[in-house]
This record gives sequence, C-alpha cells and structure tokens, in this order.
Amino acid sequence: MINSVRILRNEINTPTVNSLYFHWDVRVEPGQFVMTWVPGLSEIPMSLSLTGKEKCLTVKKYGDTSNALSNVKPGERIFFRGPYGKPFSKVRGKTLLVGGGSGMASLRPLIDQDASGVVAARSSDELLFKGLFPIDKIIVATDDGSEGIKGNIVDALREIELEKYEMIYVCGPERMIKSVVDFVAGRNINMELSLERNMKCGVGICDSCSIDGFQLCTDGPTFGLSTVLTMKEFGRTKLAESGKRIWFQ
Amino acid sequence: MSISDISTSIGNINLSNPFILASGILDENGYTMKRILSEGASAAVTKSIGMEERNGYKPPIVAIDDPIFINAVGLPNPGILNVGEEIKTARESGKPVIGSIFGKDENEFIELAGKMEEYGVSAVELNLSCPHVKGFGSEIGGDPNLVRKIVKGVKGAISKPVWSKLSPNVTNLLDIANAASDSDALVLINTVRGMKIDIYSKKPVLSNKVGGLSGSSIKPVGIRSVYEVKSNMDIPVIGVGGIESGFDAVEYIMAGATAVQIGTAVWKYGRAVFSKVTNELLEFMGSEGYGKIEEFRGIALK
Ligand SMILES: Cc1cc2nc3c(=O)[nH]c(=O)nc-3n(C[C@H](O)[C@H](O)[C@H](O)COP(=O)(O)O)c2cc1C
Ligand code: FES
Repeated sequence: MINSVRILRNEINTPTVNSLYFHWDVRVEPGQFVMTWVPGLSEIPMSLSLTGKEKCLTVKKYGDTSNALSNVKPGERIFFRGPYGKPFSKVRGKTLLVGGGSGMASLRPLIDQDASGVVAARSSDELLFKGLFPIDKIIVATDDGSEGIKGNIVDALREIELEKYEMIYVCGPERMIKSVVDFVAGRNINMELSLERNMKCGVGICDSCSIDGFQLCTDGPTFGLSTVLTMKEFGRTKLAESGKRIWFQ
Repeated sequence: MSISDISTSIGNINLSNPFILASGILDENGYTMKRILSEGASAAVTKSIGMEERNGYKPPIVAIDDPIFINAVGLPNPGILNVGEEIKTARESGKPVIGSIFGKDENEFIELAGKMEEYGVSAVELNLSCPHVKGFGSEIGGDPNLVRKIVKGVKGAISKPVWSKLSPNVTNLLDIANAASDSDALVLINTVRGMKIDIYSKKPVLSNKVGGLSGSSIKPVGIRSVYEVKSNMDIPVIGVGGIESGFDAVEYIMAGATAVQIGTAVWKYGRAVFSKVTNELLEFMGSEGYGKIEEFRGIALK
C-alpha cells in the first residue's frame, strides 16, 4: 500500500541535505526504511531519521528524485511504502553512533543520553546532525581538515576506545563501512552496520540489493559485524542495475 | 508412520522436492540462487536473459496492495555473455539450475539457448510470455506460428531439455500449448496483465504503467491453465502462479503438474517459504496417507 502524507516542515541541514517532518501513525524502529515515490520520477529507499510520533525523512540530493523530494513544501504530500527492513537491535548502556556522509540520518533515532557520535564528511558544512550530540560526546572528522580531525572515519575511530561501548552502530556508503570493518576485524566489540545498495523492490524479490545471498531490504539493511565479516561480495562486487557484476575500485 | 517421498522428476531432471524458484525472483546474482537452493528450493530458474545488457524499467517496478502484487521490472539482465559466472556460482549448490531466456526471434532464442547449455544449465526455459515488454514475451507468445518455430529451432539446436513458459494473456491457451508441444515441458503460467493507479497522486504506480499480476490473486488462473492443458495434451507441466503453501501446490499437482515454481510468495514469507511449503506438503501427504506424489498427480482430471 502507498501511504501519502502531507509534510509539516522542510528543514535544511547542510547544503545537500534536507529533512522532511510529518506525522504517520505507524510503528517504526530505528534502522528501518521506506520506499519513497516521487510520481513521474522514481522511487528510492530512505531511512527514517525520526521514529517516534513525529517521523522524518532526511534526503541527500544526488539525482532527479531526491532533488524533487528535497523541494517538497509544507502542506504538500509525499508518497511512500513500508516500513521495511530489519531494525538495529536495542541495547542498554553506552553506545557509539558512527555516521559517514548522510549515514547519520538512519542513526539519528538512536541518539539518547547514553550515545556518543562520530560524524565524518568531506568538509565542515556537510557534517550531518553533529549538533544533536553534547559537545563532549562527539568526534568529527573531515577529509579537507576544515573541522575536527583531518582524515576519514577510521582516523576518528583510532582516537576512541571502542571496547567500552555496549554497541557501536555504523551507517554510511559501502566503501566507508568496509574500511571500518577492516579496522575492527579481530577485535572484541559489538557492532551493527547498516549497509547501502541499490534497491528496486524493497521487499526481497528483485535481487538488486543482495550481498552473499542476503537481501539488504529484508535481511538487512542492518547486519551484525560477524555476518558482514563472512560476506564475500561485501566491499568487493555488486550487481549493476542490469544485473551485471561490477567490481569496486 | 514413515515419511512420504516428495521427490519428483521432469524428464531426466531429478528434484528432491517439487518446489522450484520461479524466473525473475531472486535469481540474478549467483550467490542469491545458491543460498535459496541451500535453504530448500529443489532447483532455480534464472532471471530471463537476453542478447544485450538491459537495465529494465526505472522504479517503481512493483505496485503492492496485499494480496495484489503487480510488477513491471522490464527484463533487466546483464546480457547472455555476462551470466556464466552467476550460473557457475549457483551450480556450486549441486542442484539443477535452469536458464531462462527471452529473444525477439528464433535465431536469438537459439543462440541464447546454446550459451546456456555451455554454462551447464540442466534445462532451458523459453520465456514466451513476459507481459510488459514490447517486442518480446507476449507479443511472441501469442503467435502460434512463431512459438512453433522457436521451440522447434531450439529443440534442434541443443541437447538439454527445453521448457516453454506460456502466458495466460491469450485468447486460446490450447492453441499456443499445441504450438509448443515439441517442448520437454510446459511452464504455466506467467503473470496476468494488470495495473494499479494511486488515487492521491492520480497516476499509475508502475513507471511502465502496465505490469504483470502475480501471487495468490492469479492462482485460480494458473490452476485452470494447467488443468485445461493436461486435459487435452500428454506433456509434463510445471505449475506456477500464486503458490504460497504446500496445499496450493497439491492443488496444482492434482490438476496434473509434475512440479511447481514459486515466486511472489517469497515477498510474503521470505526465502523460508521453501521449507514452509515442503513441511506443509509432507503434512498433507501424511494426513491423507499418500506415500508418493504420483499417487495424486492429475487425480482431479479423472
Ligand atoms: C518481480 C517479478 C519478476 C519476474 N520476472 C520474470 C522473468 O524474468 N521471466 C519469467 O519467465 N517470468 C518472470 N516472472 C513471472 C514469475 O516467474 C511467475 O511466472 C509469476 O510471478 C507467477 O508466479 P508467482 O505467483 O509464484 O509469482 C516475474 C515475476 C515477478 C513477480
Ligand atoms: S530491493 Fe529488491 S530484493 Fe532488495
């Protein structure tokens, strides 16, 4: 079924990211997503960046569909189906939220008094939701050194004692997640990672999002570290829109 | 009580159970097919493959309103030259992989079938029935002369079994089934042409507007198709369309199906649907006192 709701407000977060706020009376867990349809254009997966009574979609502009979505005005409708996917597991105790690029969008519902954050981006103005953490609970890294540590997300993680967290939640592009996984492999830590791949159906039938026989849209997008470590395709190959296998550079 | 034997065979292809993964559902990526085969499907049919790489339609490619499920994926595929590796990976499961192909004429079908045979498939399934791509599928599958030519051509060109998958979107199914009677088996049915309009955006949901209806809504059409063909022809039939339970499969088998394929039910039950339907079939056979599938195959035809 396609839900259509009118948005309450459209907030600019960074030069390339907007957040759409709305009411939708359905239970959603952190880590789940919806397939968002822009009639006349396309349909794209979007994580919920708020999962309480008020819901939110945080849109990174990169193509026609996401651009159109980021221009929706208060009172106008958005169209989506879901929620889909396996949520992050809940834990009691200290958590670390690690978001690269627009990855912090799907981690945002996990922000509470026990959470610390690591936010990485190309440059200062692209750091997403860093202001939602208390100043002493956030580490920032930028590729160009315009804010925080000059370097990538792994350079930021090096500064942190990861073992002391009950759970580390990670979200970002596959290449970034791969670097995190390589960095922590062999260490005794609890980590869940939300992966990103192209999705066409969102419901586990089209095979466009699969890794090692798992469907990101139904078995994921969140996976435990031990599962990710078994994946032969992860960070190496994926299927293009046509189904042709391509290698990551 | 001894456990029933649910194995079956289609010609020389032996299946540990009658449940085959249908073409177009989780069968582009070799690792995916391998996982489904390891989780209970007895064989897998690949996504339909053509001569050239194709991206398919842009999303939305599905319009879903439970139990309605309509797709217009648009035959995305990597092109025949790029599927060898995927089939090889899938075959590591040790179970039969069937290569589905689509083309615009007899020559394309022959070339595609030859390549599939090279890749080591156990059979080739001719998709004569995709309902939503112009120039392929139904436009071919609705023309008995073309169907006869394609089936004859492919049969003459390869030594592996040839299955023909037919469309229910025709005036007279028996005409087409007869035209395809050189096949080693018929696969019935592909999706039924359908459409969904969203009343708030006032637009068709699918980017292609028209798509193919599948899932439980089409099971009666599938049952009727299998029954009609088996009442008139002596040819193995593989039943497909709306099978979600072992009991649905029994219905197809009683209409005369040798095996069945499952697609859309993966949306409802995930890959685990294959162990679910297997358990249900065993439960039915146990409670009704059947030791083998042959004991009730086609029983409703009598
Ligand atoms: C998303 C989707 C893609 C499909 N793609 C193909 C295809 O490439 N080739 C084909 O012969 N049938 C294709 N089909 C049809 C199925 O194989 C099957 O015949 C039909 O869906 C009815 O079975 P079901 O109700 O179990 O899904 C597709 C069906 C779906 C739902
Ligand atoms: S998006 Fe289709 S299987 Fe995941």
